[in-house]
Amino acid sequence: MSVELSVHGLTKVHAGQSVAALDALDLTVSPGSCTAILGPSGSGKSTALRLIAGLDSPSAGTVRIDGREINDVAAENRGVGMVFQRPMLFPHMSVLDNIGFAYRAAGESRKRSRERAREYLDLVHLGDIGGRAVSEVSGGQAQRVALARSLAGSPRVLLLDEPFSALDPVLRSEMHDLVRELRATLDQTLLLVTHDQQEAAVLADSVAVLIDGRLEHHSAIAVAYTRPSTLAVSRLMGGMNEIEGRWDGVGIHRSELGEMEVEGVSLPAGPAVLLLRHELITLNDNGIRGVVSDLRPTGFRSVAEVTVGSLAVKVELAAGSVVRMGDAVGLDIPGGARSVVTG
Amino acid sequence: MNKVEVNRVLPAVGRSILVLWFLLPLVPIAVWAISNRWSFPDSFPRTWGFDGFRSALDSGGVDAFIRSTLLALAVAAIATPLGALAAHALVRGAVRFPTVVTGILLAPLALPPFAVALGLDVLVLRSHVPSTVAVIALLTVAAVPYTTYLMRVAFGAYDIGYEEEARTLGASPALILRRIRVPLLAPALAGAALLAFLVAWSDYVITLLIGGGRLVTVPILVASFAAGTGNDSVVAALSVAAVVPPLVLVVMLARLRRGAGR
Repeated sequence: MSVELSVHGLTKVHAGQSVAALDALDLTVSPGSCTAILGPSGSGKSTALRLIAGLDSPSAGTVRIDGREINDVAAENRGVGMVFQRPMLFPHMSVLDNIGFAYRAAGESRKRSRERAREYLDLVHLGDIGGRAVSEVSGGQAQRVALARSLAGSPRVLLLDEPFSALDPVLRSEMHDLVRELRATLDQTLLLVTHDQQEAAVLADSVAVLIDGRLEHHSAIAVAYTRPSTLAVSRLMGGMNEIEGRWDGVGIHRSELGEMEVEGVSLPAGPAVLLLRHELITLNDNGIRGVVSDLRPTGFRSVAEVTVGSLAVKVELAAGSVVRMGDAVGLDIPGGARSVVTG
Repeated sequence: MNKVEVNRVLPAVGRSILVLWFLLPLVPIAVWAISNRWSFPDSFPRTWGFDGFRSALDSGGVDAFIRSTLLALAVAAIATPLGALAAHALVRGAVRFPTVVTGILLAPLALPPFAVALGLDVLVLRSHVPSTVAVIALLTVAAVPYTTYLMRVAFGAYDIGYEEEARTLGASPALILRRIRVPLLAPALAGAALLAFLVAWSDYVITLLIGGGRLVTVPILVASFAAGTGNDSVVAALSVAAVVPPLVLVVMLARLRRGAGR
C-alpha cells in the first residue's frame, strides 16, 4: 500500500554559509502519486531529496511518511529508496547481487536474494543480464539496474535524483516509458528531481518549482505551464513571452499589445507582466497585426518572432507552416494562453 | 626518420633500457644461485648445482624465512589498519592541524634509520621491552608513512555515494563496512599491506641494531654470509629465494582482489 510523503518547513543551511540551500519547504506527495521538483542548478532540489532520504540532517523542519515524523530515523531504516544521477552500481558485485543487495541487507540468504532480484530484473526488462559484471552493462542498462535495485528494497517512497539526465534522448525516452509502466504496476509514491520541464511533464502528476531554495510554485503540470506563479517559474516551464504593462486589479492587463482580458488572477493593481504561452498562440488574419521578424527551427516545428510595435511575440508554428520572414500576420491569443504575474 | 617513427621508436627504446636496467642485475644473481663453482675470470660457472641452497638450508635458512615472514606479516597487519585510520581521519578533515599530523606521520621517511635505531637501541635495552616487540614497533613506524600515503590517495578517490546508496537500501553501518567499504578499498588495502610487508621483509638496520643480532631474518643471514668470502652462491641462493614470498603475496592479493565482496 502506498503512503503519503510530506515535509514541513524543511530548511538546510550548509556549514559556513549564510544563505539557506533549502528554505522552509512545504510539500506533500499524496500516496501513489509522482511529484517533480523542478529547478535550475543550485536551487536546492537535490538537497531536499538528501534531507528526505536521511543522508543529511535538516537545519529545521520535519519529514513525515504516512503522517509519522522520521527526522530521527536513520537513513537505512526510513524505507526511502533513492536513485542517483549516476547509477552507483557496486562494482564488485554482479548485476543480480546489486539488485539483491537490499534483501542481503535485510538478512536474507544469497540464494533467496538472487531469486527475488530476478523478479525485479524482469520488471525492468533486463531478464538475461543478471550474471554479468557491472562493467559489462551499458549506461542505459546500468540505470535500469539501479532502478530495479532501489525498487527491490520495497521502499515506501522512492526518490529519483535526475536519474536520466546523463542518458541520450532515445534512452531517456525509454526510461520514461519504463517509469510510467512501473507507476502503473507498483502504485509507488515517487518524488522526482529534474531540471527538465518536459521530463516532469512526462512522468509527474504535479510539479513543485524551486528557485534559490524557495518553493515558488506547486500545482498540476498543465497549470504550471499556463498559470506559473512567478516570472522565474514561467521561464523554467519554457515560457517565452513576457509583456510588461499594468494590471487593473480586476481582469484587464494593458500594454502595447492593447487590453488583454485575463481570468482568475488575484493581484492588486499595478505594474505586471503578461505571460503568453507560445504553444497556444495561433496565426489568424483577424488577430493582432504584426510582422514576422525571425524564424527559429525547434526540431520539426519552428518558433516565429512576430513584431508588434516595439514588442516581439513568439509563436510556435505547426509543422509544415508556410510563414516566411517579413510576412504580415495576425495573432490569435486565446484566454488559456494568458496569465499575469508581478514583475 | 619522420616524426611518427620517432614517436614510436623512442618509447620502445626507453622501455627496453628500463627493462635491462631493472632485470640485468638479477641475471648474475640467478646464475650464481645455481652454480657450485664460478671463479674469476670465467664467463660462466665451472660446475652447476644447488650447493648454495643446501648451505643456506644448513645454516638456518628455513628458520630465517619463517622469522622474516612472521615479522613482515605482523608489521603489515599493524601498519595497514593504522595507515587506513590515519588516512581516513586526514581525508575526512577529522584532524586538527592536518599538515603537522601529516608531517609527523611521514617523518620516518626523512629520518635515517641508522640514527633512529642507534638512538633507540639503548632505550629499548633499558626499558626491558622484548627486542622482537621493539623491532615490530619500529618497523611499523617505518611502514606507516607508506600505508598512510597510499590509503590517503585511495580515500581521496573513494566515492561516498556507494555507501549512501547502500544506506538507502537498508544497510547498517557494519554491513556497509563489510560489504561496501572494505571490498571497494581492498585493492588499496592490499597494496598498502604489501608495501608494509616489504618494508619489514627487506629491513636490515633496525632488525640488526634493535634485535641485537638475536632476531635472525633473511637480510641478516644474507649479510652475515656476504661479509665472508667464497659465499657468493649462498648469498645468491638466499637472495633469489627472498623474492619468492613477496611474489606469492602479490599473486594471492591479486586473487583476493578479484574475489572480494562476492
